[in-house]
Amino acid sequence: MSIEAPRRADTAAASFAAVAEEHLDDVYGYLLYLTKNWALAEDLTSETFETALRRWRRFDPRRGTHRAWLIAIARSTALDWFRADARRQRREERAEAGELDKNRDHAFGEGFSPELEEGLRALTAGEREVVALRVVLDLDGDETARLLGITVTAVSTRLHRALAKLEERMRHHDVA
Amino acid sequence: MTSPNLINELTASRPVAPTALRARVREIAAQEAAPHAARGASLWPKLRLPVRRIALVAVPAAATIAIASAGVLGLARSDSNVDALRSQSFTGKVQSEAAPETNLATPAQDLGSTVSPTLDRAQRISATLTVEVADSDGVSRAAQKALDLTESLGGHVVSASVATGDQGNAALVVRVPVAKVQEAIVQLSALGRIVSQQVTIDDLQANLDQLERRERSVRAQIAVVVAKLEGDSLDATTRAQLESRLRTLRQELRGLRRDTAATNAEARMATIQLTVVTPGVLTAVPVPSRLDRTLDEALNVLVWEGVISLAIAIVAAPFALLFLATWLGRKLYRRREEDRLLAT
Repeated sequence: MSIEAPRRADTAAASFAAVAEEHLDDVYGYLLYLTKNWALAEDLTSETFETALRRWRRFDPRRGTHRAWLIAIARSTALDWFRADARRQRREERAEAGELDKNRDHAFGEGFSPELEEGLRALTAGEREVVALRVVLDLDGDETARLLGITVTAVSTRLHRALAKLEERMRHHDVA
Repeated sequence: MTSPNLINELTASRPVAPTALRARVREIAAQEAAPHAARGASLWPKLRLPVRRIALVAVPAAATIAIASAGVLGLARSDSNVDALRSQSFTGKVQSEAAPETNLATPAQDLGSTVSPTLDRAQRISATLTVEVADSDGVSRAAQKALDLTESLGGHVVSASVATGDQGNAALVVRVPVAKVQEAIVQLSALGRIVSQQVTIDDLQANLDQLERRERSVRAQIAVVVAKLEGDSLDATTRAQLESRLRTLRQELRGLRRDTAATNAEARMATIQLTVVTPGVLTAVPVPSRLDRTLDEALNVLVWEGVISLAIAIVAAPFALLFLATWLGRKLYRRREEDRLLAT
């Protein structure tokens, strides 16, 4: 959670390709944490960059960084998917979720311990989201608060709660 | 595991986009047209202004336009009003009282000869004269002559004020018999150079006739009541009612007599207000300077702009509140929906 690094591509003249290349992992990582589903995260990442390309002319560097802008689009895309999925689940009465999660051992990335994977899965999407933004993507509190539409204090509280739950989960696992 | 360890593990294993996804995103990015993007990156932010910045510019700009337009209109209208102001400044002084029925006002000579009260009708005659004399001594002499004249015509002085000195002037209010008013005006006008003269005649005859008719009616009613009271067949209650009625009628009769006497007195005597001035005292009311006129007009325009703005605000306020409520409701709903979606 250090101060944000100098923004190489955050200039008005930056090309979309360069921005996409630079922040692809951030967008994908964020969506992976949010959905805990790598296949879905990949689909949503593609969709995010398609939307971003359509809106590329409207990007205003005075209102935030390229990364924050892309994450905001990713969040909106993911929430749209969640809404659609909730409607579909209600319509089809299909309660089974996480079918795709089982397709890969490491949903959140290589190198994670199984305990941490399990702990992350146990978090809510909102908690995983704040962990992704503040810890994995290293966004500062202000930027995260703007993205989530909540206060900086709420971001801190949510992050603290998520990490505490993770710790508790892993401690329980160690004892077992 | 502690939080630092957790964070270390989380940051050490940041998700990396798979190669297939990277290739897919590169394909998407390749659709970007270079000139199009360059224009988008540089032009759009310039065109797209945040609301706060717009407000920061628009509010002072609107205020400046409002004040500037008020100033321009004030300047333009100050020219067109100057003549009207000049004329008002003089006639306003001369014609200080509105005349209900007949109003003869002129700054010219020989007006006294045009006044011809109708002696067979009751009339209230008022005259206002302003004469100019050569100097302060002339003011005293003219005032004294006016008082003497009033006395000689059988009238009396209501008020008199004589001031001597550089700006000598006299203000007299006298009452003279209506039959002599013409003679009085002619002679008072001869005290100096006539600056202004106004004669007002109000007809009082209709009022007097009405009073007399009512008086006759009341007298007749009193006679009837008195006749009834002189009879022997009245019971106590009827007698008490008739006596009460008689008292009321007599009281009304007294009031009618007073009003008739007052109206007759008003009609017998004419009131003349005489002002004697020296040159320079009676000057036109100073016309406001161009700056004052401009400021006045600009203020008027600003007031109207404020009134119009207020009216627009009043009309628009309910719609704005409705819009705000809808916007807030929608935002709140979306926030709750997001919380619900992210709680799983």
